[in-house]
Amino acid sequence: MIEAVAAKTQKNYLNEKQGILSWLLTTDHKRIAILYTFSITAFFFVGGFFALMMRLELLSPHNWLVGVDTYNKLFTMHGIIMVWFFLIPSIPNTLGNFLIPMMVGAKDLAFPKLNLLSWYVFMLGGTVTVYALFRGGIDTGWTFYTPFSTTYSTTYVVAAAVGIFIAGFSTIMTSLNFIATVHRMRAPGLTWFRLPIFIWSMYANSVVLVLNTPVLAITLIMLAVERIAGVGIFDPALGGDPVLFQHMFWFYSHPAVYTMVLPGMAVVSELIPVFSRKPLFGYKAVAFSSVAIAVLSFLVWGHHMFVAGESVYSALAFSFFSFCVAVPSAIKVFNWTATVYKGSVSWDTPMLYAIGFIGLFTIGGMTGLMVAVLGLDVHLHDTYFVIAHFHYIMVGGTVMAFLGGVHYWWPKVSGKMYPEGLARVSAVVVFVGFNLTFFPQLILGYLGMPRRYSAYPEEFQMLHVLSTAGATILGLGYVMPLCYLIWAWHYGSDAGPNPWRATGLEWKSSSPPPMHNFEVTPVVTAKLPYDYEAMKEELQLA
Amino acid sequence: MPESATLACREQFRTPGQQRETASIGMWVFLANEVMMFGGLFVAYTVYRASHPEAFAAGSADMNILLGSINTAILLTSSLTLAFAEHSAQAGNQRLLGLFLILTMLIGLVFLGFKFTEYYQHFQEHKAPGIWFNDSSPYAASIQMFFVFYYVMTGLHAVHMIIGLGILSVLLFRAVLGTFTAEYHTPIMFGGLYWHFVDIIWIFLYAIFYLPGLHK
Amino acid sequence: MKEPALSRKQYTFAWLGLLGLTLLNTLIAFVNLGVWNTVIEIGIATIMASLVAGFLMHALYETKVVRIVVAGGVIWFLIFMTLTLGDYMTRGWLPFPGK
Repeated sequence: MIEAVAAKTQKNYLNEKQGILSWLLTTDHKRIAILYTFSITAFFFVGGFFALMMRLELLSPHNWLVGVDTYNKLFTMHGIIMVWFFLIPSIPNTLGNFLIPMMVGAKDLAFPKLNLLSWYVFMLGGTVTVYALFRGGIDTGWTFYTPFSTTYSTTYVVAAAVGIFIAGFSTIMTSLNFIATVHRMRAPGLTWFRLPIFIWSMYANSVVLVLNTPVLAITLIMLAVERIAGVGIFDPALGGDPVLFQHMFWFYSHPAVYTMVLPGMAVVSELIPVFSRKPLFGYKAVAFSSVAIAVLSFLVWGHHMFVAGESVYSALAFSFFSFCVAVPSAIKVFNWTATVYKGSVSWDTPMLYAIGFIGLFTIGGMTGLMVAVLGLDVHLHDTYFVIAHFHYIMVGGTVMAFLGGVHYWWPKVSGKMYPEGLARVSAVVVFVGFNLTFFPQLILGYLGMPRRYSAYPEEFQMLHVLSTAGATILGLGYVMPLCYLIWAWHYGSDAGPNPWRATGLEWKSSSPPPMHNFEVTPVVTAKLPYDYEAMKEELQLA
Repeated sequence: MPESATLACREQFRTPGQQRETASIGMWVFLANEVMMFGGLFVAYTVYRASHPEAFAAGSADMNILLGSINTAILLTSSLTLAFAEHSAQAGNQRLLGLFLILTMLIGLVFLGFKFTEYYQHFQEHKAPGIWFNDSSPYAASIQMFFVFYYVMTGLHAVHMIIGLGILSVLLFRAVLGTFTAEYHTPIMFGGLYWHFVDIIWIFLYAIFYLPGLHK
Repeated sequence: MKEPALSRKQYTFAWLGLLGLTLLNTLIAFVNLGVWNTVIEIGIATIMASLVAGFLMHALYETKVVRIVVAGGVIWFLIFMTLTLGDYMTRGWLPFPGK
């Protein structure tokens, strides 16, 4: 039996210290998680606004709302903000920060002051990037391809690059913190194979981030040096190779997209067992798959460059590895499905999001395999097919997992329950809106509609209109939780310590947890992390 | 579990040993991260050298081998003095600790002094990239590429050394205050790791910039 | 585990080895050995780096986790180097332009 004594006091991490300074100078991982939540939510809606503007422009085949230059800036800023200021930090810095110490039975992360510093560095990076935005934006695409970004663009490339560079340090600090915490701060008895899968996936995610983010840093430095000093590192006139920029950029960015999905998988691996009342099927397979995804994700970056000029043999190797990396992801999907099978399923909101994730991530993954095929990619590269593929993963996957996780752990974080009926409705709205937005884009891409174009042939209009309609519904689906969650924070009904009757150390403390999570270090003696059978009696009482 | 937190065992840790090991993992992961950062530059350099071997050899021939090799020896010596500082910290010898820290910093400053002298020499010979570059050989463009990498890579290294000097100053300040004892001296050890790592980078920089052009 | 601690004698020997290798590397570079020049210059640099990491940074005496971290950093750098160079080295192998 897992034994832990949590102080059942009225004082918790939210009310123990009051005042704005106690928040801005906190080293409590739970408060820092809340600080990050404010930041990434704000960035999400800014990035979403740009997406909305793009979709409005695309209602008509001709430019009607914004000019082509502005359109270029819209898709660039949408990408930059969503990738670096929402997707990469979302689950790790909010849910990860809050939960990792609790799940391993620690009082805080390994380096609490570094954690606080990481938030300030993140905000500094965000400020610099928003500055670039207000000064007039940047139009190179979030991929910063040379020589346009180094030589020909007249927008604020260096400012945006500096903002992203700074934000990268925040990522490295957080990842370092997580790695050290998982290695050395586990409670006695909590061996690696008794850890929740959330920890395995977040750990693998952190390893990826520590290894790939510095390459982004150096790539941005070289970009800035070339742009400022006029020395052609990637300029063919000086013997430079623009494709080298792409190699360096994608060495970072491909693993980066896996750092967006691994945290989502981490959340889903927690939700599925709870709402199926069954242990996760194939725990070790899922744990090792997280590690396998982390490793293999570094071997596939050239699949973004199949038509950029890389050698055919190189392309073959990257295509092969891209097929390989789909395997551990598929293993996870099979194991989640096997967990639900013959389980006692309850369709609460987090489960709706989790099931949505599984379906949409599968479509995203399958379409990814399609573009990994060399012959197909020649036709599909730089079309809306690719856009739909990665939005299925990032929005249909990560964002849904994020929302699922937010709802699931909301009672723990806030001590209150959210309105279940309304939440279920908004989950359905999100699902419908998402599919209406992005399924037409799969078709558009197949038919040849290029990405990053604001004007297009008339015959594509119907699909674009459907997509924009979907985007509006999807936006509504995101605004709804924003509203009712804020409402629930103040007026929701009190949730007990374990409203979902879940296993896991975080549910052993009160809701909201006390400042130091646990009054006494918990000692773990349970053999399995998701032993719903053995813990049936205890969980009924919880 | 200690009731009050100390420097050697802060609140979130159970024992000082746990704190030291956790900090050790954090520091080494950070160094792996730095390996990847410099690694990106090494990969780019290798790509260009593989495609322009003569130009890179010509560029390398312009390096001052005497200054470069002496500087390498100097930097390696600073690693030795820093290792002695770490040893003194472990032994709890505060006086020697301070002494070796100062010595390391001085040697580091000498290295930087020679480095900037070299940069100045290059400027004088019109070997700085961009508008100042002036070379009449047939592969001037590729030689300029060599110099771009030379400046960016040794420049980034120099930035890391300056940061290292900053770290050593802070450590020296705390050492003078008597913060470090035989029981608690992890900041010295990890500051040392950073400095040694920057030394390793220089070892490779020396090999790839100063040596290729020495033979005919 | 107990913190790794080396003696000043051990550090000094490592340092002498490093100085010797620097001299060796420099002298060999004066001789034209074709492609072996590059191999040797990087090879000796790698040995030197290993001496610094192993002894001056006492990585050899650290916990298993730390040694895995060191190996991981090196391996990941090699992955980057190998696959990137793999592209450049295999260009032009097919009789089609641009391939």
